Amino acid sequence: MLWLWILVAAAVLLVLLVVLGYNRLVRLRNEVDTGWANIEVQLQRRADLIPNLVEAVRAYAAHERAVFEEVTRARAALQQAQTPGAAADANEGLSGALGRLFAVAEAYPELRASENFLELQEDLTDTEDKISAARRYYNATVNRFNTAVQSIPWVFVAKPLGFRAREFFSAQEDTAPPQVSFEPAR
Amino acid sequence: MTLQEQIRANRLRSFVVVFGFVVLLLVLAGIVGLALDVSLGIFALVLALAYGIFALVRSRSLVARLTHAHGIDPEVAKPLRRLVENVSIAAGLAVTPEVRIVDDAAPNAYAAGLRREKSYVGVTTGLLATMPQRELEAVLAHEIAHIRNRDTYLMTVATVFAGVIALVADIGFRSIAYGGGRSRRGGGVVVLVLAIVGFILAPYAALLLRLSLSRRREFLADAGSAEILNDPEAMALALRRLEADPTRVRYADTSTAHLWVESPTDRLETERTGISALSGLFNTHPPIDARVAALEEAGGFRVPEVLPAYEPFGREHGLV
Repeated sequence: MLWLWILVAAAVLLVLLVVLGYNRLVRLRNEVDTGWANIEVQLQRRADLIPNLVEAVRAYAAHERAVFEEVTRARAALQQAQTPGAAADANEGLSGALGRLFAVAEAYPELRASENFLELQEDLTDTEDKISAARRYYNATVNRFNTAVQSIPWVFVAKPLGFRAREFFSAQEDTAPPQVSFEPAR
Repeated sequence: MTLQEQIRANRLRSFVVVFGFVVLLLVLAGIVGLALDVSLGIFALVLALAYGIFALVRSRSLVARLTHAHGIDPEVAKPLRRLVENVSIAAGLAVTPEVRIVDDAAPNAYAAGLRREKSYVGVTTGLLATMPQRELEAVLAHEIAHIRNRDTYLMTVATVFAGVIALVADIGFRSIAYGGGRSRRGGGVVVLVLAIVGFILAPYAALLLRLSLSRRREFLADAGSAEILNDPEAMALALRRLEADPTRVRYADTSTAHLWVESPTDRLETERTGISALSGLFNTHPPIDARVAALEEAGGFRVPEVLPAYEPFGREHGLV
């Protein structure tokens, strides 16, 4: 009789663990998905600004073809990126190409003074700020989700129910962000 | 506690608060009805409910009117708008809150709105004229944390209910004062005395509940700001800068005090009454020192004695 009760209690506990774990993990995963959608919106916005920017520079510096091609290629790579890590890499690549485009633009005072170019530059800076804001949120949600997936007791539920740890939005060559911490270095 | 869990805990607390207020209201109306007159009790209850519903529906514009907040020309406010957008993206809000300006030299800010999608952040011109970008961002993040944590919702509800309780108690008290009491009931005197005590204490009970909720939330919103920006020092610097400024918000009174990032009334009260030991209980905000200390501990830094002098955001962008 006692064994029966223990068995029933264990079964109830197991069901409770699965239900609670599933709900919690779904909630956390939804947060990650929302965070990723936010990043995609801003990445798309950045990609949308590029053709206009290239046109604006081309109007003054038509012969700088190599850098236009590089920027266009980097933009295509960003739009084709499938995973967060690949997107972050492509985004870094685009930043590098844009840096060279702006370096070229430096040599043309009329271009730098043009209203259209200034506005595009400002929009681009704003989008980059927004990408890093969205990235902060996304990476925080990934951190929470991954911690839940990998920690006891949810880890027992996560694998069978198909919850996998998610990828951070960070480029491979990325250095860690500066952390405010006075902990002694290990 | 994850964000969602914190929000859920807040929702539960909101429910408890609403439930507590409803019980308090029913008890008060019951006392009015028993001690004085049944029809008066019903009248007070109906009036209180009508007032409460009206205040809740109108709360968004009511708060704006109380604090004299107005909208801004989107072209002029573009840099400020962008700052708010960035902070709300980092906070994971689905909709960027609107920004409203309060023409006031005192640096301060607040958030209002029942629903997250229809909330707004109010900032004073004084805030724009004092805060450098990094600290302004921290203050905005504090307000957006209030919106995200559903504090604005809870506080609005609590404010309205506290007002309703005060109204009912007032009706009862006035009725007694003007001789409405009925002595023909058995034990009339005892009931009357109990009623008087009840009417005097009820608004304070409501007020205390409201204030204690508000104080806890300030710590949470400070922590939220630090988390959203990954920069606890910015919030601590902003608090110190707010404290260093001697001006107080003109249009703030006790009905809106709990909304602001720095209490606009606490210091005023202490200065006026000279009582500080007991007044801690009636403060809407924890002391700045405690808030800064909590941030310093979390971030492992110390705020310098002399605050760094950067160009204020509003001056940099020609807003003030």
